[in-house]
Amino acid sequence: MTKSIFVDTTICTACRGCQVSCKQWHDLPAEKTKNVGSHQNPQDLSFMTYKLVRMREEIIDNHLQWLFFPDQCRHCVDAPCLATAFNEDAIYQDPATGAILYTQVTKKLAADEIIGSCPYNIPRKAEDGTLAKCDMCNDRVHNGLKPACVTTCPTGAMNFGDREEMLAMAKSRLATVKAKFPKAMLLNPDEVNVIYLVAFDPKYYSDYAVASSGRGGISRSVALRKMMGPLAKMMRV
Amino acid sequence: MTNHWIDLKNSDCILIMGSNAAENHPISFKYITQAQLKGATVISVDPRFTRTSSKADIYAPLRSGTDIAFLGGMIKYILDNNLYNKEYTENYTNAGFIVNKNFGFKDGLFSGYKKNEEGPSMGSYDKSTWTFDMDEKGVPVVDRTLANKQSVFQLLKAHYSRYDLDTVSSVTGTSKEDLATVYKAYSATGAAGKAGTIMYAMGWTQHTVGVQIIRTMSMIQLLLGNMGVAGGGVNALRGESNVQGSTDQALLWHILPGYLKIPSSSMDTLDAYNTKWTPKSNDPLSANWWQNYPKYSVSLLKSYFGEKAVKDNQFGYPWLPKAEDGKSYSWFDIFDSMYKKEIKGFFAWGMNPACSGSNAQKVREAMGNLDWLVNVNLFDNETGSFWRGPGMDPAKIGTEVFMLPAAASVEKEGSISNSGRWMQWRYQGPKPMGNSRPDGDIILELGRRLKEAYKTDGVFKEPILNLKWDYDTHGEFDAHKVAKEINGYFHEDVKVGETVYKKGTLVPSFAFLQSNGSTSSGNWVYCASYTEKGNMAARRSNKDAANNIGLYPEFAWAWPVNRRIIYNRASVDPKGRPYDEKDWVVRFAGEEKDGKYTTSKWEGDIPDGPWYPLQNPDGTKREDGRHPFIMTTHGHGQIFGPGLADGPFPEHYEPIECPVEKNMFSAQMVNPTAVVYGTKADSHATCDPRFPFVGTTYRVSEHWQTGLMTRPQEWLLELQPNVFVEMSEELAKLKGIANGERVKVSSARGALECTAIVTKRFKPFKIGYATVHQVGIPWHYGWRWPETGTEESANLLTPSAGDPNTRIPETKAFMVNVAKL
Amino acid sequence: MKLNRRDFIKISGATAAGIAVSGLGFDLKPVKAHAGMLKTRYAKETTSICCYCAVGCGLIVHTSNRGDGRVINIEGDPDHVINQGALCSKGSSIKQLTENKNRLTEPMYRAPHSDHWQKVSWDWALSQITDRIKRTRDANFETANAKGQTVNRTTRMASVGSAAMDNEECWVYQALMRSLGLVYIEHQARI
Repeated sequence: MTKSIFVDTTICTACRGCQVSCKQWHDLPAEKTKNVGSHQNPQDLSFMTYKLVRMREEIIDNHLQWLFFPDQCRHCVDAPCLATAFNEDAIYQDPATGAILYTQVTKKLAADEIIGSCPYNIPRKAEDGTLAKCDMCNDRVHNGLKPACVTTCPTGAMNFGDREEMLAMAKSRLATVKAKFPKAMLLNPDEVNVIYLVAFDPKYYSDYAVASSGRGGISRSVALRKMMGPLAKMMRV
Repeated sequence: MTNHWIDLKNSDCILIMGSNAAENHPISFKYITQAQLKGATVISVDPRFTRTSSKADIYAPLRSGTDIAFLGGMIKYILDNNLYNKEYTENYTNAGFIVNKNFGFKDGLFSGYKKNEEGPSMGSYDKSTWTFDMDEKGVPVVDRTLANKQSVFQLLKAHYSRYDLDTVSSVTGTSKEDLATVYKAYSATGAAGKAGTIMYAMGWTQHTVGVQIIRTMSMIQLLLGNMGVAGGGVNALRGESNVQGSTDQALLWHILPGYLKIPSSSMDTLDAYNTKWTPKSNDPLSANWWQNYPKYSVSLLKSYFGEKAVKDNQFGYPWLPKAEDGKSYSWFDIFDSMYKKEIKGFFAWGMNPACSGSNAQKVREAMGNLDWLVNVNLFDNETGSFWRGPGMDPAKIGTEVFMLPAAASVEKEGSISNSGRWMQWRYQGPKPMGNSRPDGDIILELGRRLKEAYKTDGVFKEPILNLKWDYDTHGEFDAHKVAKEINGYFHEDVKVGETVYKKGTLVPSFAFLQSNGSTSSGNWVYCASYTEKGNMAARRSNKDAANNIGLYPEFAWAWPVNRRIIYNRASVDPKGRPYDEKDWVVRFAGEEKDGKYTTSKWEGDIPDGPWYPLQNPDGTKREDGRHPFIMTTHGHGQIFGPGLADGPFPEHYEPIECPVEKNMFSAQMVNPTAVVYGTKADSHATCDPRFPFVGTTYRVSEHWQTGLMTRPQEWLLELQPNVFVEMSEELAKLKGIANGERVKVSSARGALECTAIVTKRFKPFKIGYATVHQVGIPWHYGWRWPETGTEESANLLTPSAGDPNTRIPETKAFMVNVAKL
Repeated sequence: MKLNRRDFIKISGATAAGIAVSGLGFDLKPVKAHAGMLKTRYAKETTSICCYCAVGCGLIVHTSNRGDGRVINIEGDPDHVINQGALCSKGSSIKQLTENKNRLTEPMYRAPHSDHWQKVSWDWALSQITDRIKRTRDANFETANAKGQTVNRTTRMASVGSAAMDNEECWVYQALMRSLGLVYIEHQARI
């Protein structure tokens, strides 16, 4: 049974414990940032920022909402980046956890193609071309620990467990939350292992909160490779 | 906190006002969220919409400095609509006490006011009319029907009758609709079995009326029956990991450990001191806990001076320094005196006054008048390096500075006490980095050297030579030895009841402390924390108590005597039955026969004393019961509070610097007893067109205090790299300021450069017919870190004015200007 | 001390797991050889309490048992009844607070009118401070006030601090300051 993360944004307080604990566990350096008139920083994910709490102020139905969206890799069930890469030394899925994992071999991939394949605009490129993103703390998970971001979350906005359990939790929370936020929804729950619950139209939270129709997905050549998957793999071996 | 963090989950209504828990106490939201998911209402009242507000069910803005008006309106609402908890108010509060007929209140002044000719205190009260009528036995006369015109309850009604929605709204800038929504939601907790709680912090204390804001809320909590119950209480969210413990250990001028009073010059003997501070009650139903004062003061002296403290030398009482009667030695007074070149030597231990002190430029200049400064810290800071700070010429500054490297908290062993009074033990991980040392070792070594130096000669050597100083093991500071001293020892065999407690053993709890020198205790409220059974603070059991409300009585240890919710005798009715059957705190479980209790037993939390309830099951009164508010002299919650400097009922006054020319409630513009300092570094400007906007300071989640323990960390600087000023879109438009650009913020005292955050979360206030703009700045920054030197402290702006009871500065409401660079 | 991770997660069918790594800090080849190896595996584990706000969250501190003996990891203690593993951004950065290149590691001295710091020994610093305290105290000690009342104090020295100290440190600190006759003793609770 693969693992999933359920992110209930309706109870996220943007304490950003997740953002720092991710860097803490992964020993990632800080970015040099500047306040550009917002509490959100850094402004975007990067090669050294796998987790970012996006913060937006919106007037929705005449009420001010400060919306928080702890953005990260969705660990797609059927990951376009993996299919696009077509190189398991570079991008592979851990069958035990479902985590989509990048290695240093990603340096050899066409980075823009991989980034472009992601419907959620997640992977980021280092100067040397290596790609990086959230690894679901796969090392922790294999050792019985929750991912660092989930462990550190105070309110229960971040949850981790078996996919079925997380899906059930997500659906149950959605049903409850609907009473207060009728437009609440789960974001692509069938396609991802990091399932978000949002109270309002996802476009308020992030440009790529839901799978974007304008980007990502799988090109025809990738689809062909995918179809031939087992055969292609054999050929590689 | 009267309650504790986990207890928030038991609340039905959580008012977050004067604090911003989601940002400054983020993990509290674990329990706020749990309460909310169970149906509790969360209310956020704040001048700006915060991360707390983003999760609240109700948000109401108010202009900084108008909290008493806001809460006074709630008292009126509760009384007008009969929403107070009648049984509780009648039985457990002083609402029925009869007040001296000469007590009065007129146009903003209580009876007995006298203006001071010399500062810094603007005036004071002769409190001789702020008293209760007593019967022939010396017990307060009480009218439990609350109908007597001179009763506290009726005076309260009259006092707050002026706080109607229109007036309150025109002062606070909160709409009448928002006021009514908050009042209605919160007042609903007056119903039996419902609990409302208040979470406040420096948003309430940092005003010239700070203590009275908190008192207004305490009165509401009493009227609604919210004290002592699960999910209730008055909860100060303390801001530093051990600010509770360090206050308990009396790192403040006016107290000794355990909230004993500092001796003053008129109390020349131990007897005079003990007599002065031991309250008398003639009511047999009042526990009047402070009647035990001499047991605690003598035990403290025994801890200070050990075997050198004997009856014949008044246990060393003459060796303690005496404060001058009527004089204050507070933070403000230190830097005022230093500015006036009266102080020669100064220590800053784990503090950064160059950024944390209100009117910080005065603090920085004052340090240039010192002969020497000792700065102990993890990092170089704006205090240690003040001589090379902005505008300073090192060649002109003669202060010698010693900077000592301290160990980090994870590098040493010892205990700290959280906001919920939980004393928790920490262990050493790595050793201190480089040549840094734990504060305990630095203090211990300094003490050894001073003792050595005074062996040969010196002025008044006795206290130094006689100070008990055996707290090391193999030369190193031993936290266990001190923790045991704080708990206390028997110094002789002491027989209590049938048991003999042997000399040299640890005292089991403060009920065993003696006033004859046979016991020691460095801090009586911590007595029972480290006993013959071991170190209670190190306990880690996650088993809950029988009431299953999250007390976890065997996890760490809480003062006093491991009581997790204080005043918990007020959570039961006079017969000892919980008002809230589901989330009960304590309940009487003694045997009963023929309608009378025959044995005494309580269940749940440690009760506020072992006595029987006030009544038997058949309603007859008991002579061996006790009123629930055991720390007050008369045993009742104080709706009328004669102890404070500025009045027994809170009254709205404007901040020392404010945007309005008139106080809508009285002719008294500002608190007539406020303290305002008057050197040339202390200018103030109220209703001054040069400084037209209300300013306030606050914190953000990603930094802490002056930022000294967060600004050197790249991970945290990444999240909040620059000092900023938040303002409304309306104000930004008015001043032509674009989001993200650097601007200058100035006050009558100083100025700094900030990044503008133009936000929908601040809105202009409508105050009467005027529009009042407010801005806010976090006070986490200083020139030393980040090393760009471009980020400065918001306390360069804040005033030299404070609360008359505490002398805490008014950093939450002052006047500023904002301008493009 | 015994830690009991209540949040232990079972992996079903985990076999040849790879550690998920990319980019920084790790040697990534061979990818799958590092299965299950945590950076904290051989570290000493101690508990502590967060040094920031007063919620009192529990920490687990992992300290290297080899080499420099420094901190490898600090995260929330899942068995602590208050935070149950949770920490905010500040609590999550305590490793960087502790292992920080900006920390003071030696006593420093700035002479009157000097424009720089100089490194000094503990022995020298403490002997000089002892001397300053004694000189200031003895020259300015008041045994009686203007009214002739006994006061036994000095108002020429002041001390502020500290809510960052442990209870036991606070207690010995105030005992020492009061034995010297200081009345100007204040700290964070006043501001």
